[in-house]
Amino acid sequence: MTRLSHHRRTLLSATGVVGLVMLWEFALRLGLLPSNLVPLPSSIPAEFWAEIREGIWLEVVLASLSHYSTGLAIGSLLGIAVGVGAALEPTFDAIQSWLARLLRPIPPLAWIPFAIIWFGVTETAAAFIISIGVFWINYFASYSAVSAVDDGYNEVAHAFGQGRFMARLCKVSLPAAAPGILGGLRAGLGQGWMTVVAAELFGIPGIGQRMMEASGLLATNIVVVYMLTIAALYALFDFLFMSVQRRILRWQS
Amino acid sequence: MAELSLSSPAPGRPVLQARGVRLGFAGEMVLDDVSLDIAPREFVAVVGASGVGKSTLLRALAGLLTPQRGTVNLSAADEPATRPWSMVFQAPRLFPWRQVRANVELGLEGLGLSRNERRSRAMEQLALVGLEAFAERWPRTLSGGQQQRVGIARALAVKPRVLFMDEPFSALDALTRQRLQVELGELRRRSEAAILFVTHDIEEAVLLADRVVVLSKPGEDEPARVSEIVAVDLPLSERREHPAFREHIHRLERHIGIDTSTSDPQESSS
Repeated sequence: MTRLSHHRRTLLSATGVVGLVMLWEFALRLGLLPSNLVPLPSSIPAEFWAEIREGIWLEVVLASLSHYSTGLAIGSLLGIAVGVGAALEPTFDAIQSWLARLLRPIPPLAWIPFAIIWFGVTETAAAFIISIGVFWINYFASYSAVSAVDDGYNEVAHAFGQGRFMARLCKVSLPAAAPGILGGLRAGLGQGWMTVVAAELFGIPGIGQRMMEASGLLATNIVVVYMLTIAALYALFDFLFMSVQRRILRWQS
Repeated sequence: MAELSLSSPAPGRPVLQARGVRLGFAGEMVLDDVSLDIAPREFVAVVGASGVGKSTLLRALAGLLTPQRGTVNLSAADEPATRPWSMVFQAPRLFPWRQVRANVELGLEGLGLSRNERRSRAMEQLALVGLEAFAERWPRTLSGGQQQRVGIARALAVKPRVLFMDEPFSALDALTRQRLQVELGELRRRSEAAILFVTHDIEEAVLLADRVVVLSKPGEDEPARVSEIVAVDLPLSERREHPAFREHIHRLERHIGIDTSTSDPQESSS
């Protein structure tokens, strides 16, 4: 495969986006696509502005962000705690091993019935569903990262008086496994966004609910506004996370 | 029941005393009936064929492994903010997520020292191995020899009574190895530690040690025992040039079962 220069690559990537939007626009204008099913791209900026002006955009985005961050925090913390604990404590590992295998294949959205029964149609229910998907990603990432830590480092800890559980956890296991644990956190960041919309589809205020409303009115351009919003927010979070991660892992490359 | 105990040190008494140590893994005996005394500030080298159990013995003496039979008695630390023993490993095993100085400080944590005291102790040791300028560097930016120097500084920083060294130079290139052998000789003069040095390099053992302990298996499937202890009474400063240097090496080679008559003459004259 021939390699492209950075400049050329950027140019081609931009062409891809612009090309698709133009193709989409012309297909609609030429009547090749049914205009009641697909919105006109050039109508979206105005629609976006209307959503912002009416305060709807900020309201639903803040609501979703609140479910997202609560679910993300709970799922990540629990996932890392259980994953690290299982990797370090053979007894605990054995106890949780079959449970994990049994529960893990259940998709987060399959918990929606229970979320509603337990918490009602509330923000807590949305956060709960989000936290489940995030939990498993962090659990497996931390478990395998800590399991893979070179035992030589533990021997060093023992040889230098740092062999007790807490010393070993803080001075060896967590820093040595940090690349893997952070990889899990980052994947969870994405997984959380995927479930946040689905969790709101059943009536909890937020981006998902707004999209459902819009589709009921066949306001497809509003649906696209929020699809783009989700993409932009995810890109923002991922960017922020990556800069934090680079700082934490500056010992690596 | 095997035991490892820490006793209070007394002048002249051995800092390490092993009696009848037996150790094995998964039903297979690796070592049996190993007894050894190490005097304060003494340099003892353990040699033997690879896989004979030298590193296992070292770990048993340090207390990282518990013998199935026999006792290991290691002097307790007699000064505050020191540790009874520390170790230099074959691979430097620095923590890559800590800068050089923080690596040297590892053993000093939990000894009741202030942050500044830890820092100055670490810098002192880094100066001794010539790496003060590298204190804020990440380990991956150092060469293998430099990393092993940091490993030595980390071990000496806790002012151990016994320093265990597990083939510390075997992963280094020949030139670096020779340089570090000379440096270790220098460090030894400044340190109070007795050294137990495991190596498969007989020349290295004769070059550095006061006594060389030979670990070997009497038979194919038998556990290793101490088969010979050779005192090296040669002046430390010019050992390599001393006429008896080669004799000691040949004597030890015969003990380990290396047939010197077929060995490369180039090698034995180097």
